[in-house]
Order: sequence, then C-alpha cells, then structure tokens
Amino acid sequence: MENLIIEATQYTPKIDFNAKSQSLSIVGKSYPENTFEYYEPVIVWITEFLSNVSDDIITLYLDLEYLNSSSLKAYFDIFDLLEAAHNEGKKVQIEWVFDADNDICEETGEDFMEDFKSLDIKLVVKG
Amino acid sequence: MNISKIRTIMQEEGIVFSFSGMISQSLTSFMVETAKNQLEEQGEDAKTTRTMFSIAIEQLQNIMSYSKNKDTSNSSKYISPGVILIGVDIDKDKYYISSSNEIDEDDKIRITQKMEYINSFEKSELRKVLREKLRSAEDKHERGAGVGFIEMAKRSSEELEYDFETVGEKLYFHIKTYI
Repeated sequence: MENLIIEATQYTPKIDFNAKSQSLSIVGKSYPENTFEYYEPVIVWITEFLSNVSDDIITLYLDLEYLNSSSLKAYFDIFDLLEAAHNEGKKVQIEWVFDADNDICEETGEDFMEDFKSLDIKLVVKG
Repeated sequence: MNISKIRTIMQEEGIVFSFSGMISQSLTSFMVETAKNQLEEQGEDAKTTRTMFSIAIEQLQNIMSYSKNKDTSNSSKYISPGVILIGVDIDKDKYYISSSNEIDEDDKIRITQKMEYINSFEKSELRKVLREKLRSAEDKHERGAGVGFIEMAKRSSEELEYDFETVGEKLYFHIKTYI
C-alpha cells in the first residue's frame, strides 16, 4: 500500500502516513472550509490500511494545535475507525500531543479519551 | 467620505480589529492569524488568544457557509458578505467577537431555536452537549458538523448574545460572543 503524504497549508495540517511502519502522523492546525472534502482521502486511506494491517502496533501521532468544529467531527470519525480496528483485535496506540499552555487542545484530548474509553490514548505535553 | 466618524465609533466601541466585505477562507485565515498576533503583541495570555482565534473562525466560517448572497460558483469554496469585529468591552473588561450577515427569513426560526437550545444549558454541560452532537451527527451537513454555535458558547464566558434586524427588505443576523 502506498504512503499518504499531504503537505500542510496555513489552515490544514501535515499528514504523513507510513503504511509499512504503521505509523500515522498528523501535525498542525485544521480549519479548512470544506472539512469533509479535505479529510475524505485521509478516511479512505485509513479504512483501506486497517483492512489489511499486520499484527504489529499501529501508532497515530496527533499534534493538532487547533481544530475547528467541523474538524472535530472528522477526528471523531477517524477515532471511530480505530476503535472498530481495536475491537477486531488490532493493536492501536494514539498519542495526543499538545503545548503546555494549550488548554483547549488538552481538553479536546480528554474528551476523546472519555468518548473512546477502549482506545489506548496517551496525552503528551510538549517540551 | 468622513472616515473620522468611523474611527470615533471604533474607539468608542473598543474595536481592535474590523472587516466588512466579502469573506473567503484565505481572508478568514489571514484575519484570525493577524488578530492573534495583535493580541499576543499586546501581551494577552495564550488562553485568551486561542479562545479569540477559535470563536472568530467559527463566526467567519458560519458567515461563509450560511450568509445570504454567498457566491458558490467555485464549487466548495464559498465567498460571502459579512462584517466581523473584535473589540474590548470597556464595562465588562472583556474581549468580544461580533459579526453580522444577511439571512433568509426561514433561517431566523432555525437560528433562534438553536440559540435558545444552547443558552438553556449551563456552561459546564456544553462540553457534553457538543460531544453528543458530534457523535450523533444529527446536525451534520456538507460543509460542517452544525455545531459552530455550541463551540462558541463553550469557549465564551457568557451566554451567546444575538439579535435580528430588518433594514428595508433585508434581514440581518447579529451575534456577539464574549471571551
């Protein structure tokens, strides 16, 4: 399977998904106007990836400084996919990374932990 | 043209940032990033700055998606007329973000219901309300999750202030959110 790399813009994050190492990383801000259109290839890639993933650990590294409300929904959908994979016995690890002074991002991470209790989500404070 | 009149009003209203005209995604990004830098230079703390950034984006993207007379000719990229103000309320000693756009008569009922629903909750409950809406996706549409007002209310220190104004044959929606 091919890797997925999408460069960052001023309002969309850098996406770097490596199929072989099973390490997925999203870094930056996310407030596109056409959020679902923007995330569609991301969701499609993850869906295909999860359908033929190995037994090794899958890691998702999320360092998202800011998410607008429609992006929150997109990440809810991504977490849904990962939760389904986890329920099928796949090993999924999520790192939710935020700056120490970014209360909003920390709170969002806590909300995801609360909503996806079965998933292994670690909150990681930067620097 | 009497620009000093506008300057006087801006001083009286504590406005630190304003724009009136066609709002696009690239302009939204430019405006919020500029306003963010401005607040940081004034020594505002990270939380105030980030809250302003978040509320301003929700208001601007609402205008883009819902304003009457939006230009949708370029498929998914909308450009819509509206006004946005970021200012300091002297009495409350708080920042506010306020915006205005023209709407359809039908939208008035829909917006009023949404506002009353959101303002019926305590601040502490809104975090849960937002998550339930995201999970159920009941208000989701092509361009958003339909939760922008809840996100604003969650970030705001007060209830969402809003009103409607009829000018001739036009109907305007105004919203004011305090940090």
